[in-house]
Amino acid sequence: MLEFLQRTLDGWLEGSAYALVGLGLTLTFGTLRRLNLAYGATAMLAAYVGAWLYARQGLPAWGVALVVVGLAALIGLYVERLCFGAIGSGGSTQGHEGRGSATRVGGGFDGTEVVALASSFALWMQLEQLAVNLLPRHLNAFPDLAARTEWGFFGLYLRPDRLAVAALALLITLALTRWLMHTRGGLAWRAAATQRTAAGLVGIRVGQVQATAFLVACALSGVAAFAVLSLEGQITPMLGMWMLTKGLVAAMLGGLGSVRGVLLGGWLLGIVEAHAQAAFGAVGREFATYALLFLVLVASPAGRSGLLGRGGLRHAA
Amino acid sequence: MLQIEGLATAYGKIEALKGVDLSVQGGQVTCLLGPNGAGKTTLMMTVAGILKPKAGSIRFEGEELVGKSSADIVARGLALVPENRLVFPALTVRENLQAGAFRRRDRNAIRDDIDRMFVRFPRLKERVDQMAGTLSGGEQQMLAVARALMSRPRLLLMDEPSVGLAPLVVAEIFQIIRQLHSEGVSIFLVEQNAHMALKVAQQFYLMEQGRVTFSGTPGEMSSDDVIQRAYLGQRRAA
Amino acid sequence: MPLEQAVGLATDIAILSLLALSAYLVLLVGRISFGQQAYFALGAYASGMASTLAGWALAPSLLLGAAVGAVASGLLAWPTLRLSGLNYAVATLALAEMMRIALMRLHFIREVDGYTVGPQGAEGFRDIRWLLENDVSPGAFLLLCLAVLAAALLVLAWLRPRRLGLALRQVGHDEVLAASQGLPVLRLQLLAVAAAGALAALGGGLYAHRATYIEPALFDPMLGVHAVGYALIGGLGTALGPLLGVMFDIGLLEATKVFAGWRMVVFGGLVALFLRFRPRGLLDEATVHRIGAAWRHFRRTS
Repeated sequence: MLEFLQRTLDGWLEGSAYALVGLGLTLTFGTLRRLNLAYGATAMLAAYVGAWLYARQGLPAWGVALVVVGLAALIGLYVERLCFGAIGSGGSTQGHEGRGSATRVGGGFDGTEVVALASSFALWMQLEQLAVNLLPRHLNAFPDLAARTEWGFFGLYLRPDRLAVAALALLITLALTRWLMHTRGGLAWRAAATQRTAAGLVGIRVGQVQATAFLVACALSGVAAFAVLSLEGQITPMLGMWMLTKGLVAAMLGGLGSVRGVLLGGWLLGIVEAHAQAAFGAVGREFATYALLFLVLVASPAGRSGLLGRGGLRHAA
Repeated sequence: MLQIEGLATAYGKIEALKGVDLSVQGGQVTCLLGPNGAGKTTLMMTVAGILKPKAGSIRFEGEELVGKSSADIVARGLALVPENRLVFPALTVRENLQAGAFRRRDRNAIRDDIDRMFVRFPRLKERVDQMAGTLSGGEQQMLAVARALMSRPRLLLMDEPSVGLAPLVVAEIFQIIRQLHSEGVSIFLVEQNAHMALKVAQQFYLMEQGRVTFSGTPGEMSSDDVIQRAYLGQRRAA
Repeated sequence: MPLEQAVGLATDIAILSLLALSAYLVLLVGRISFGQQAYFALGAYASGMASTLAGWALAPSLLLGAAVGAVASGLLAWPTLRLSGLNYAVATLALAEMMRIALMRLHFIREVDGYTVGPQGAEGFRDIRWLLENDVSPGAFLLLCLAVLAAALLVLAWLRPRRLGLALRQVGHDEVLAASQGLPVLRLQLLAVAAAGALAALGGGLYAHRATYIEPALFDPMLGVHAVGYALIGGLGTALGPLLGVMFDIGLLEATKVFAGWRMVVFGGLVALFLRFRPRGLLDEATVHRIGAAWRHFRRTS
C-alpha cells in the first residue's frame, strides 16, 4: 500500500512538471485556436542559449532563468509574426470573406489552421537545429538546482525541489485562471479567441491581444524548461520533442485550451505513467501514455474532448 | 450625423462598394434596403472599421473615420450589431455585455447599465450566466443589441436584425428599435424586411450593386415599384 | 555527383514521395494524419518478414505489406474518423506511437539458410537481403520504385475527374456540405485513409529492402510530420504536389550539401516564409486550375 502511495505521489509530482510544460501550449490553443508545433523547440533554443551562457560565460543560475524565459518570449515573437499573426488565428470570421467556419462542424479544416500547423512545424525544425548546432554534444550542463535531501513523512518520501515545481504549476494555473476569468484583459483574450470580428466590433485590438497571449505562452514554455532542466542539471537534444509531446498529451487529456484542464491532465498522465512503469516497465509506460491519450480522445462524447473539454464552446480556463 | 461620400471597398478584385453616398440624421431611424449581394453588410463593416475602404470618406459628427481602427470607432460613439449576431459563444450573457462595454472604464456605471439591459431584455436576465452560444436565435439577437448598447453609442448600426427569426421575435426586435428611437438613440438600420422597416424608419436608402440608387421618405418608398426592386433587384415589367 | 549517389538519391526521393502521397490522400479528404509513419513501418516489417522468413518474391511481399497497411489503417479509422480535425490528428499520432512501441516487442526469429533472421524488437530487423540475393542492381530497383510511384500517380490522375475523385475532394472541402448533398462522407474518408495506409506501406516495403535493416526507432513521429509538411508545401492541387515538397527538401537541399549542418535552419525558415505568402502550397488548386486552363487554351489555338 505504501509503495502504491509513493508511486502515486511520485507520479503526481512528475505530472505537475508535465502540466507546467503544457500550460503555454494549452494557453496558445485557448486564445488563438492554434496548435503551436514550434512550442518545444522555442523553449529548447532558449534553454540551449542559457546553457551556453552558463558553460562559456559562467552566468549564474538566476541569470540563466531570466535568459531562458525572456529569450523564449522573444523567439515566440518571431514564431508569431511568421506563423500565426500574419496568417490569422482561429475563431469564426464573418462569412463575407467566403470562408466563415460556420459550416465546419465536425471535421473539415479551416484553411488557415492547417497552414499555421505546417508553418509552425517548419519553424520547429529550424529552431531545433539552431539549438543543436549551438552545443553539439549530446549531453550539456545546465544549472543544477536539484535538492540534495528528501523529506519524509508518514513513510513517504518527496524531494522539495519537485514539490516546488508542483507548487509553481499550481500557482501559475491559478494566476492564469484568475486573469482569464476575472479581469478585463482576460475577457478580451477569451472574446478574441472564438469570435474575432465581434471582438473588433466591441473595441478589442485583436491582433495585439493575441500576440500578447502568444508571447506569454512562450514565456511560460521557458519557465517550464528552466524548471525541468534545473532539476536534471543537464540538457539534451530530446528536450524539444519531449516538451511538445508531454505538454500536448497533458493538455489534450484535460481538454486542449483549458488552463485548469492541463493541470488535471498532467496529474493524470504522471500518475498513470508511474503505475504503468511499475507494472510494465519503461516500454509499457510509454505505451500507456499514448493509450491513455487515445482512450480519452475516443471515449469523449462528440465535440467534447478531455476532462474539462466543453466542446466547441471551450473557453481558455 | 453620419456622412458617407464616395465610399469604395473591394475584396481583392471584387468591388463591393462602388462609390456610396448617403447621410444619416441624428435622432432618426435611417433604413438601408437592398437585395442580397448589394453590399449592405460590406458598408456596415466598413463604417465600423472592420473593413478598410480603398476610397471615400466617412464623417461622424464632423470627424473622419476612415483610417481609424474599429476600437477607435467604438470609442467615438458608434456601435454595430452585426449580421448573424456574432455573440461570443464561449462567454456568458453577462460577459458578453461586459465585453460590449470594453472601451469604457467607469465600472459602476457599467454595472448599472448591465442591470438596465436586464430590465429592457428580461429574457437575457433569465440566462445571465448561460453561455451565449446556447441561446436561441432571438435571444442572441437581443444579446447582440444589448451588447452594442453597452458602449452607450450615439449612433447604433444594425445589420439585418430580423433575419432568420420567427415573426413574433421580429416584432419584438422592431418594438425595441422603436423604443430606442423614442429614447433619442440614432439608428442606422440595414433590413430586408421592407414592410416592417417602413413602420419604424423616417429616411430610406436603396442600395443595388454597390451603389445607392434611391433615397426618400416612407411615403416615397411605398410605391410598389421601389419595393419590388428592393426585394428582387429587378424592375417589374412595365 | 557520381551516378551511384544520384541513383540512391532518386530512390530515396521516390520512396519518401510514396509516404508524402499517403499523407496527401488523407489531407485530400480534409484530415491531417500524423501517423502515416506507422503504416510505413508496418509495410516495412510485413514485406521484410515475407521475403526473408517465408521466402516470398519481392512483388508479393510488397503487396502483402500494402494489404497490411490498408487493413490496419482502415480498421483504426473506424473509431477515429468521428473525431474532429485536431483531435483526429493527435489520435493518429497516439496510435502510431503505440504501434511503434508494439514493434519494439516484436520478436520473430527463424533459421533460414543458416542465417538467424527476423525482427528482434528494439534491436531491429537485420538482413532483409532479397535484393542482394537476387542480384537486383540499384538502377533496377530505382526503376521499380519509380514504377510504383508512377502507378500510384496514374491511378490518382485517372480518378481525379471521375465521380470518386470529385467526391473525395468535395468531402475535403466541407464535410457538412458534402454530407448534406448525400455523399457518404465517412465511407469516402475510410476509403482514402485505407488507400493512404496501403501507399505508405508500399513505401515502407521498398525502404526495408533498400536499407536491408529497419528498427522501430526509425519510424518516429518526425517522419510522419515531415510527410504532412511535404504535402502541404507542394500543394494539394494535384498528386504531384507532395513530390515537389519531397524534391525540394531532399533533392535540392540535401543533394547540394550547400548548407551542411544548417539544412533544417534554411529549409524551415524558407518553408515558413513561403507559406506566409503562398499558404496553399506551390501547386494549389487555383494554380492547377490556371495551368489547366492555359493548357486547354494552348491546345485550342495551336
